Amino acid sequence: MGLPLFSAHSDPGPSFFHYAEKAGLTTQVGLGEHDSAHATTVIAVRYVGGVVMVGDRQATSNYIASRDVRKIEPADFYTALAISGTAARGIEFIRMAQLSFEHYEKMTDSALSLEGKANYLSPIVQRNNLTTPLLVIPMLAGWDPSHQEGRIFEYDGAGGCYERLDFATIGSGSPFAESTLRLGFRSDLDLDGALDLGALALYEAGDNDPSTAGPDFVRNLFPMMVTVSENGFQELTTDEVASRFRVINDRRTQSGGIAGGTLR
Amino acid sequence: MTMPFYVSPEQLIKDRAEFAQKGIARGRSMVAAIYDRGVLLVAENPSASLYKISEIYDRIAFAGVGKYNEFDRLREAGIRWADGTGFTYSREDVDARALANYYAQHLGDMFTEGQKPLEVEILVAQLGSNLRPTKLYRIAYEGTIADEPRFAILGGDAETIKARFAEADETVQPLARTLKDAVAALAGPERTLPTSDLEVGILEDRGNRRTFVRLTDEQIDELLS
Repeated sequence: MGLPLFSAHSDPGPSFFHYAEKAGLTTQVGLGEHDSAHATTVIAVRYVGGVVMVGDRQATSNYIASRDVRKIEPADFYTALAISGTAARGIEFIRMAQLSFEHYEKMTDSALSLEGKANYLSPIVQRNNLTTPLLVIPMLAGWDPSHQEGRIFEYDGAGGCYERLDFATIGSGSPFAESTLRLGFRSDLDLDGALDLGALALYEAGDNDPSTAGPDFVRNLFPMMVTVSENGFQELTTDEVASRFRVINDRRTQSGGIAGGTLR
Repeated sequence: MTMPFYVSPEQLIKDRAEFAQKGIARGRSMVAAIYDRGVLLVAENPSASLYKISEIYDRIAFAGVGKYNEFDRLREAGIRWADGTGFTYSREDVDARALANYYAQHLGDMFTEGQKPLEVEILVAQLGSNLRPTKLYRIAYEGTIADEPRFAILGGDAETIKARFAEADETVQPLARTLKDAVAALAGPERTLPTSDLEVGILEDRGNRRTFVRLTDEQIDELLS
């Protein structure tokens, strides 16, 4: 790779994606027949001090390919990015997003706004999903320092970006997680309430969707739980996550595998 | 038939060098120095937004003196090169030496083949790790690249500033001392530079992947007091 110099009229600006396209660093994709499982559940819930995200850890093809995949990653200090869909494209997508936000910051000496980050990802999702069957559906959540609140952005298959004021889910377990969230969400949720609700919604998805893994007490593998607040992206420890899921699991065991009439 | 003027290569190079030197001498100078825990970059710069010092990558910083639009384009190219290389291979494969060489080639090409030589002098600094040493690469307008052992001075008045700084700091010192001596060397005996005319950036390990920080006026004042 030589020194990437551009004249003023052909300069790709601070967008790493546009530079990478020009320099041929991105994969050229075409139509082909591939399996495109989007077996996953990732949940984002807003609370008064930010956003909570919970994601399962299973990669599924025809069988379980991996049990400890990380589907939520920090995109930068204040932003979390989750993916569902084809793993290969999803990983490239996360790298592209992480690098892009940092690239913009270095090029312009100012950070992108949260909304700017969300909009930036739209054409990347669109280009991927409309030119290949290897779909990727991301979800962006973060702390917006200029508005002092947590915000969630979800995407459709064509790259459309929608802000959600309550919660959002991606992946095959979404219907089950969504039902739980719809029943349990309140706009005044505190951090603990949001973590509880997120864990319960993921437990429900793991219980009903064959491609979503709930807590795995045998292997001591648990879903990822993350908070994004004014303190930035923080991941809960395995012990913290394990104790939350153990409480839910014990209750369910006592009531014979059903919720037992209340949201718990 | 009119004959084109013959200009000897020696004359051509001399004219171009003079042109570039004049352009560089019009701007203010800067000092880059290794201190006990990192690399310090100090520039005399009255503008608070048109920077001469910038982050390139996790452990690499850039500095330029001379014509702003020319070194800023080189800075952007450096960030693109580093991010592109890290994206294609791995973050640990991004090496300041490779970037310094590309800069040297480009400046050399522009000096001999360009419409006019670039009126800039630039510096690529790398904070050492277990993979690579701490380095200061100074690249002159004609593409000469120098691997400076402890400190580097860029700009028109380099020789005088160099003598002043070398006299003040004979070995590697802590940050506050290095900054004081660098500012004194830039200012000279007759001037004092106000903090608002200083641009300071450092590369230092603080437990983060990214090691570059731009110091605020308050931080500079504290170090200088």
